[in-house]
Amino acid sequence: MTSRTLALILLLISLLTAVASGQDKMTRDQWQSAMTAATAKVADLQAQLTKLQGDKTALTAQSAKLDADLRACEDALYALLGVNRAEADAFVKELADIEKRVDELQKMGDAELLSHRDELERIQLRLKELSGNKMALIPRFGDKIRSLQEKVAAMLQGLSTEKTYTVGSWSRTHDCLWNIARKKDIYDNAWLWPKIWQANRDKIRDPDVIKPKWVLKVPEKKDLTKEEKAAANRYYRKKAAAPSGE
Amino acid sequence: MPKSMRFAFLSLGAAALLLVVGCSNSPSDDELRKLQELQAQVKQLDEQVTAQQKENAALEKQNAEKNGRLQQCQTDQEAVRKATGGK
Repeated sequence: MTSRTLALILLLISLLTAVASGQDKMTRDQWQSAMTAATAKVADLQAQLTKLQGDKTALTAQSAKLDADLRACEDALYALLGVNRAEADAFVKELADIEKRVDELQKMGDAELLSHRDELERIQLRLKELSGNKMALIPRFGDKIRSLQEKVAAMLQGLSTEKTYTVGSWSRTHDCLWNIARKKDIYDNAWLWPKIWQANRDKIRDPDVIKPKWVLKVPEKKDLTKEEKAAANRYYRKKAAAPSGE
Repeated sequence: MPKSMRFAFLSLGAAALLLVVGCSNSPSDDELRKLQELQAQVKQLDEQVTAQQKENAALEKQNAEKNGRLQQCQTDQEAVRKATGGK
C-alpha cells in the first residue's frame, strides 16, 4: 500500500467522523426553534393556569352561596311545616331505610318472604303513621310513602293468596312432601317438594316428618329458587351420607 | 517532505476544520441546559393545569348537585304553601 493510498483512507475516516459527530448533535437553529416553542408553551400554560385558578375561586364562592341559599330554603320549608331540622332529618333517614328494606324484601323468593310477613305488616303500619307526618306534605316524600305502601300491600296480597294444604294421615292419604307436591292440584311435580318444605320451615324441621292436620303453605308453582335448591341438595347429601336403614 | 506525506497532513487539516465548523454550529452546554429546564417547566405546568381542570370539574359537579337540591327545595316550599292553604 503506498503512502498516498494510506493518506486517502485517513482522509475518508476523518470526513466520516466529522459528519457523524455533527449528525447526533442539535444544531443551533434546532435549539433556537425548540426554545421558542417551549417558551410559547410555558406562557400559554401559565395563562391557562391563571384562568383556571380564577375559575376555582368563582366556583368556591358559588358553592358557599348555594350552601347558604339551600340552608335558608330548608329552614323556611321546615318552618312552614312546623318541624325542626332534626325531626326532618330523622324522617328522611327513616324513609330511606324503609325504602332500602322494601327493595331487599322484594328480591326475596316466596318462601323466604313468608317468614318476613310480620316485618312486612310492621312496615305497612309504620308507613301509615309516616303518611300522617307533616313532612309527608312535601310531595316527593308523600309520593314515596304511597309508592312504598303499594309495594308492601302487593307483597302481602301475594302472600295471602297462597294456597294451603292440610296434611292427612299416612295410612289414609300417604302424605309426605314428595306425594303432596306431585298431586295434580298442588304442583303435579314431585321434584318441587322443597318449595313446600322451605315455605313451612316454622313447622317442618325434618322434611321426612310431617304430621297429620298440619296446615302447610303451598307457594305458587315456579321453578325452585336458589335457596330451595340448596336446601334440597343439603337434604339429599345428608340422606346419602346416612347409614342405610336410617 | 515527500509529496504523499504533505497530502496526508493537508487531509487531516481539512478534517479538523470540518469538525471545528460542525461543532461551532451546535448550542453550548449552557444553552442546552436552559432548554432542558424550560422543557421541565412545560411538563410541570402541564401537570398543574390538568390537576386544576379536574378540581374545577369536581366543583362544577358539586355545585350542579347543590343547585338541583335548591330548586327541589323551592318546589317543595311552593307545594307545601299550596297544601297548607298559602299560610
